[in-house]
Amino acid sequence: MQKMTLMIVDDEERFLETTRKLLEKKGFQVVTAGNGSEAMKMLYSREVHVVILDVKMPGKDGNTILREIKQLFPLVEVIMLTGHATVDSAIDGLKSGAADYLTKPADIEELIRKAEDAYEKRLRQEEKIRLAQSKQIMKSPREILKDSTGEG
Amino acid sequence: MTHQTRTDSYSPLKRMLLVSMIVIPFIPFLLVMASGGYFFYSSIENKTINNMKRIVEDHRQVIEFFLEERKTDLAWILNTYPVEQLSQADLLRNIIVHLQAKSPAFADIGLFDENGVHVAYWGPYQLSGKVYSDAPWFQKVMQDGWYISDVFLGFRKEPHFIIAVRKDDGNRKWVLRSTIDSHLFTDFVERVRIGKTGEAYILNKEGYFQTERRSGGRLMSRDPEHEKNPDFHTGIETFLQKNNAGDEYLYATAWLKSNEWLLVVREEKSEVFQSLRMASLLSLLILAAGGMLMVPLGFYVTGRIIQRMEKMESAKGLLEQQLIGASRLAELGEMAAGFAHEINNPLQIMKSEKALIDMVLTDMIKTDHIPESENLTTLMDSLSQIQLQINRCAKITQAILKFGRQGDPSPQIISLPEFIPEVTGMVEKKAAVEGIRIIRDVHEDSPKIYADPGQLQQVLLNLYNNAIDAMIEKNDPEGGFLRIQTRPDPAGAVEISVTDSGSGIRPENLKKIFSPFFTTKPVGKGTGLGLSVCYGIVQSMGGNLSVASREGEGTTFVVTLPAYKG
Repeated sequence: MQKMTLMIVDDEERFLETTRKLLEKKGFQVVTAGNGSEAMKMLYSREVHVVILDVKMPGKDGNTILREIKQLFPLVEVIMLTGHATVDSAIDGLKSGAADYLTKPADIEELIRKAEDAYEKRLRQEEKIRLAQSKQIMKSPREILKDSTGEG
Repeated sequence: MTHQTRTDSYSPLKRMLLVSMIVIPFIPFLLVMASGGYFFYSSIENKTINNMKRIVEDHRQVIEFFLEERKTDLAWILNTYPVEQLSQADLLRNIIVHLQAKSPAFADIGLFDENGVHVAYWGPYQLSGKVYSDAPWFQKVMQDGWYISDVFLGFRKEPHFIIAVRKDDGNRKWVLRSTIDSHLFTDFVERVRIGKTGEAYILNKEGYFQTERRSGGRLMSRDPEHEKNPDFHTGIETFLQKNNAGDEYLYATAWLKSNEWLLVVREEKSEVFQSLRMASLLSLLILAAGGMLMVPLGFYVTGRIIQRMEKMESAKGLLEQQLIGASRLAELGEMAAGFAHEINNPLQIMKSEKALIDMVLTDMIKTDHIPESENLTTLMDSLSQIQLQINRCAKITQAILKFGRQGDPSPQIISLPEFIPEVTGMVEKKAAVEGIRIIRDVHEDSPKIYADPGQLQQVLLNLYNNAIDAMIEKNDPEGGFLRIQTRPDPAGAVEISVTDSGSGIRPENLKKIFSPFFTTKPVGKGTGLGLSVCYGIVQSMGGNLSVASREGEGTTFVVTLPAYKG
C-alpha cells in the first residue's frame, strides 16, 4: 500500500509544525500550508492524498478552498477542521464534497483515524476507477484507443 | 429603599390628584349651594317682607275703615235726627244701644252746641252741662267738621279717644261726639296675628302707644323702641331694628288717620326667617354630607389610580428588564462565541503539543533514555491531567459556541406522535442502565407543530439528560421515572412536558435556571449553558419554556409551542 501523504492547511504556524512532527513520527508523509494559495501550489507540485483544512482562516476561507480543490483535484479527500461547534460549516463542507469533519480542538488520534478512513475511501475510489477502466479495456480496447487518440 | 423612593416620587402626583378629586368638585358644589342659597334667601326675604307689607296695608285699611265707619255713624245720626230729639238723653241712650250693637267700642255719646256746651249726654259719667269751648278737640271739630283724637285719659281717668262730627244747621252748629274704648280698640287692632311673635299696634306722632302692645307697652306710654318721633313716610316702610333686649325685629309701618297715627306690625326676625334658617341648616348638612362622601371617595379613587400606575410602572420595569436581559444575553452570546472560537485555536495547539510530548516521552522511555522513576510517574500523571483540562476547556468552548451561534433553523412540520418516540429512543438505553422507567403519554391527535427538528431534538435531549442526571443524583432505589406528555393547550398551542422524579430544584435556583453559566452540577460536569440554549431555542420558535419543581420530589419542564395551522 502506498504511503499516505497528508497536507495540513491552517493559519496557526505552531499547530502546523507540531502536527507535522507528530504525524511524521507516526510514519505519515506530511506537508503544510499556511493559507489557501499555498495549499493550491502544494497540490500542483506534489501528490497529496488527504487534506486537513481549517474552515476559518484569514483570506480565503476553508469552504472556498475546498470547492477549488474538489474542482481541480476531485480525488483529493478533504477533512474540514472547524472551530464551530455547530455543524453548520461542516455540513456546508460535507455538501461540497468533504470526506469528514473534525471539531477543534481535535485529538491527534481522531485526526489520524479520520484521515486514514478518508485515505481508504480514496483508495477504494481509485480502485473502482481502475476496475472500471480495466473492464472497459477488456470490453473494447479499440474504444480506449479511440478515446486516447481523441484526447491526444 | 428603592420601593420607598418610588412611593415618594408619586406623592406630588397623589397630592395633585387628591386636590383635583376633592377640591375641584367642591367648587361647583359650593357655587351651586351659594347661588341657590342666595336666590332662595332673597326670594324668601322678599316674600316675607311683601307678606308683612300686605298685612300692614290690609290692616291699615281695616283700621281706617273702622274709624271712618265710626265717623260716618255719628255723622249719619247727627244728620238724621233733629237736634231736639238728640238733646233727649233717652234717645241718645237708644242710639248708643244701637251703635254698641254694631260696634261695642262706642262707650258714650254726647251732643254739643257751637259754644262747646254739652247739651246732652248718655254714658257712664255725668258730663252734661260742661263747657268745652276751649278744648282743643272742640276747636278742631269746629274748624274741620270732624275730629278723631289721640288716646287720652280725660275726666274719666280711663284711656280713650274721641270721634266728633259737626253739623251746620242754619246759623247754628252742632257737634256729636262719641268716646271709643281704647281697650276694645286695642283688641281690634291687635287682632292681627302673625306667627308667635307677630304683633300690631299704633303709635301717635310722638311715639306714644295708642293701642297696647302684646309684648309689653302700656297705653299712652312711650314706645321704648321709638325714642324719637317716628319719621313720616308715604306708603309702607319695612326695616330691621333691635329692641333693648337685643332681639331683632322686622318692622312694617304705615301712617293712617291723616298721618297722625302710625300702624306698626312687627315680628321677631328669627321667626320671620325661620324657614331660611332651616334651609341654610339643611344646606350645611348637605355640604357636610357631600364633603364626607367626597373626601373618602377622593382618597379611594386616588389610591386606586396610584396603585394602578405603580403596577403599570413595575410591569414596564419588568419588561424593560427582560428586554435588557434578552439583548444582553444576545450580546453575551456573540461575545462568548468569538471568545470561544479564539480559545479553540490555542487549545488545538496545546493538544497537539501534549500529544507530541507524550510521543517523545514514550520513545525516550522505550529507548531507555529515561529510567523509570517516581518523578516520571508524577510527570506522566501531570501530563494526563493537562489532557483532561484541555478537554474540559474544549467542552466549555463547544457549549459556548452552541449557545452563541444558533445557526439558521430550517423549520418543517413535525408530528409529535412520531417525533417524540424517536428522540426518546436516544436516551432509552441510558435510562435503562440507571433503572429509570420512561413513560410516554403522547396523544395521537396532538396538533402538529412547525419547527426545526434538530433544534427541538436538542431541547428535548437536553431536558431528558437533565432529568436523568437529577434522578441519578437522587439515587432513588426504585430508579424513578421520566414522563413525556403532550397535550393541546386551550390557546391553540401544544404543551410538551418532561417530568422527572429526581432531586428537584431549590426554589432560590429556579429563577436562575435559564441564566447562562448557571449550574448546580459538580465542577467540570456542566457548563451551565444547556438550559439557556434550550430557552433561547424555544423562544425563537415562538414558544415558551417554563419550569416547576419541588425539591426532593421532582421537576417538570413544559415546552409550549404554537400549533401548526395549515
